[in-house]
Amino acid sequence: MALLELKGICKSFPHAKGNLRVLEDLSFTVEEGEMVAVVGPSGCGKSTMLRIVNGLMQPTAGQVLYKGRQVDAINLECALVFQSFALMPWLSVKANIEIGLEARGLPPAEREKRAGVYIDKVGLDGFEEAYPRELSGGMKQRVGLARALAVEPRVLLMDEPFSALDALTAITLREELLDIWQAADMPVHNIIIVTHIIEEAVELADRILVLSSGPGRVVADLKVDLPRPRDRRKEGFNALTDKVFSLIEERA
Amino acid sequence: MAMNKTDTRRANSVILPMLAVAIVLALFFAYRRGGGGLHLHAPRLYVSARQLPYYAFCSFSRMTAAYILALAFSLVYGLLAARGAMWERVLIPAIDIAQSVPVVGFFPAAIFFFVALAHGSRFGVEMAAVFLIFTSQAWNMALGVYESVRTLPNDSLEALDAFGATGWLRLKRLLLPACVPKLVYNSILSWVAGWYYLIACEIIAVGPAHYELPGLGSYLMTAAEKGRTGEQVAGLLTLLAIIILMDVMVWQPLSIWAEKFRYEFAASGAPPPVAIGMLGALGAVGPVILRSVRAAFRPILRAIHGALATTRPFNAEEHPGLRRAWRIVRVGLMALLFFFAAYGAIKGTVALIRTLLQPWPAAVRQIPLATGASMLRMIAAYLITLAWTIPCAIAASESQIFARRMAPIAEILGSMPATALFPAIVMFMIRLTGGMNLASILLILTGMQWYVLFNLLAGVSQIPEDLKEAARSFGLSRMATWRTLTLPALLPSLLTGSITAWGGGWNALILSEYFVYRDTTYKVFGLGAMLDDATYQTGNGLMILLTLLSMVLVVIVLNRLLWRRLYNIATDRYRIDY
Repeated sequence: MALLELKGICKSFPHAKGNLRVLEDLSFTVEEGEMVAVVGPSGCGKSTMLRIVNGLMQPTAGQVLYKGRQVDAINLECALVFQSFALMPWLSVKANIEIGLEARGLPPAEREKRAGVYIDKVGLDGFEEAYPRELSGGMKQRVGLARALAVEPRVLLMDEPFSALDALTAITLREELLDIWQAADMPVHNIIIVTHIIEEAVELADRILVLSSGPGRVVADLKVDLPRPRDRRKEGFNALTDKVFSLIEERA
Repeated sequence: MAMNKTDTRRANSVILPMLAVAIVLALFFAYRRGGGGLHLHAPRLYVSARQLPYYAFCSFSRMTAAYILALAFSLVYGLLAARGAMWERVLIPAIDIAQSVPVVGFFPAAIFFFVALAHGSRFGVEMAAVFLIFTSQAWNMALGVYESVRTLPNDSLEALDAFGATGWLRLKRLLLPACVPKLVYNSILSWVAGWYYLIACEIIAVGPAHYELPGLGSYLMTAAEKGRTGEQVAGLLTLLAIIILMDVMVWQPLSIWAEKFRYEFAASGAPPPVAIGMLGALGAVGPVILRSVRAAFRPILRAIHGALATTRPFNAEEHPGLRRAWRIVRVGLMALLFFFAAYGAIKGTVALIRTLLQPWPAAVRQIPLATGASMLRMIAAYLITLAWTIPCAIAASESQIFARRMAPIAEILGSMPATALFPAIVMFMIRLTGGMNLASILLILTGMQWYVLFNLLAGVSQIPEDLKEAARSFGLSRMATWRTLTLPALLPSLLTGSITAWGGGWNALILSEYFVYRDTTYKVFGLGAMLDDATYQTGNGLMILLTLLSMVLVVIVLNRLLWRRLYNIATDRYRIDY
């Protein structure tokens, strides 16, 4: 049984001229242990899909099955990393990371210990008491990542996590994400990452889903067999990038 | 060392406004002819619903006159303040002072002044009323103009400079359009405030002051005194109809039209408000109104701006004599202005000292206690305000449907001048409790609550969607969401609302501690009642001066030492800017 299964997901929003269909008949499965990247042009409903998987939104039609059970509320075995970081500006780095732990009812001592572990893991040592506005973009997203990892989710959902950062910072953070993902003590079993940067998808994912735009549906499901660490100067990398690019261009 | 510096500055920031207020007051007294209280017996109004259109017309004309003055003032003042550092340093603190002064307290003083000026004719009372409404409308509009010009991106100013488009062209093509959105928004607020004070001074006129000031306020008061419920309701409905008509016919089309002038690029993706049906058709009214307003102001603005244009394009063929002549005229005008200001200040100070040298009445010793009593009433009204507005805001943050249903109701209720309900509330409460104590708190409440509510609702709509999603995604409970997201995010709005609410509260206080109803004076022990007593009964100038000064002192001290500090903490830590 697949860990996660989307069956015929449709989502439309009320709009001035009738309904705006964002997703139509979107179906795919995610197997245990996979890192899946979802790419597509802007406005193809990638982020909406991710919110439906998390249970933040309910689909207009279709269903999401997690471990065979329909998701009809927030799925607490998932954790979301936001493009805009979504950190509470009035809380310190540590307090931001403890949000999810507090929601799960962990006692204060345990929260502090766990937050410390993940602060260390994302390289934020010494910034525990800093406020988000004092941090650079890259540091903020490290907080966002630590906050999501700290709840030790089975599935990590990432919504354009590196798109708001400059290119060099994004490269560093991608490498760090891979290091964390491949570490032996990693509690996360799956990552679903939504992105419009094709190189990002090719570099990170085991599988790439290409979505068409307006309304979004899966147009290609590609396996990425390149050995890690993947070098963007190698032949296979570029060939795959070009392929994904032309798939998106065809449908746009 | 650094400590000392801020301390002196803080002391200055209290003393300077006090001094300014004292001088303004003294000026009033200097021009006041004859002593005694305000006793100018005017024929009582004959109240009949048939005359309602006439009363409504009177009130509306006063509002319009005051608004046109306020608009002219705010454009000139705001543009001047945004012009350069020197103007800014004088004009902006001056507005700060003007805003922290309870305007209603100055109504009697204004009547003295303007009646003397108009040699005792009714026109003087009219001028006083228009002046009072003007003071409630002008400050926020002027600040709006100032902020709009100050926040203009430098490159667009430079672009115009580079093309040699200075003076009138620059004003017409850049500065004025940039002011439109904030000016329209603040005009709406100013009309709401204006109605409040208009009704207040009409009520004062028939109540304690016995002046003839026909209008909706005096009509409502007289109807309440005569116990004519039907006519009271008719009056309230007329007022409501005017407010709603103004909103639909003028403010909504103007707001839609003003959207065009927003300077920022639409990045948030929020769709602009869409005009529907009749409103859309009425949208055409906006430009017409603006065109005529602009035509009326053009000469004044042109002159002001021309006089102040510091960046003149280089012109090789310009005659140097013209420039010199203009400079001489400018210096002459400034000197004349300075002379009048100095003359007024000296005369005012002399009058102030003379007033202070009078024997101090025994009642002076009660001022601190009275201030305490009034403070307690204010605090009670504030706590009631918080008790219902915060839950409302939380509910609005949790349910879009609740927020959407509640907004228009709150808007109509809030734009209804609470002073119009004063006669009914007082009548009801006096019958119920036999005294003014509870009525007084209720009246203060009506002057406070909407400011807090509207600021909170605006705050709710500004909580970023991604933060809400993050709270839900991590499974935060309702309580945890309030604690980590909703309440911290609302703190700056709560403080802004509270500061304005206390300002409104002090004004309401003056009206709410002293009420003349069926020729009986109902009053409670408090600062507002003391001021009213001194003004309408004893006519003791010294007491008026001292009560007003202590009120201004309390207001300014509270603002500087409490509210501003809290506000700075809130905006420092709880602003949303990650």
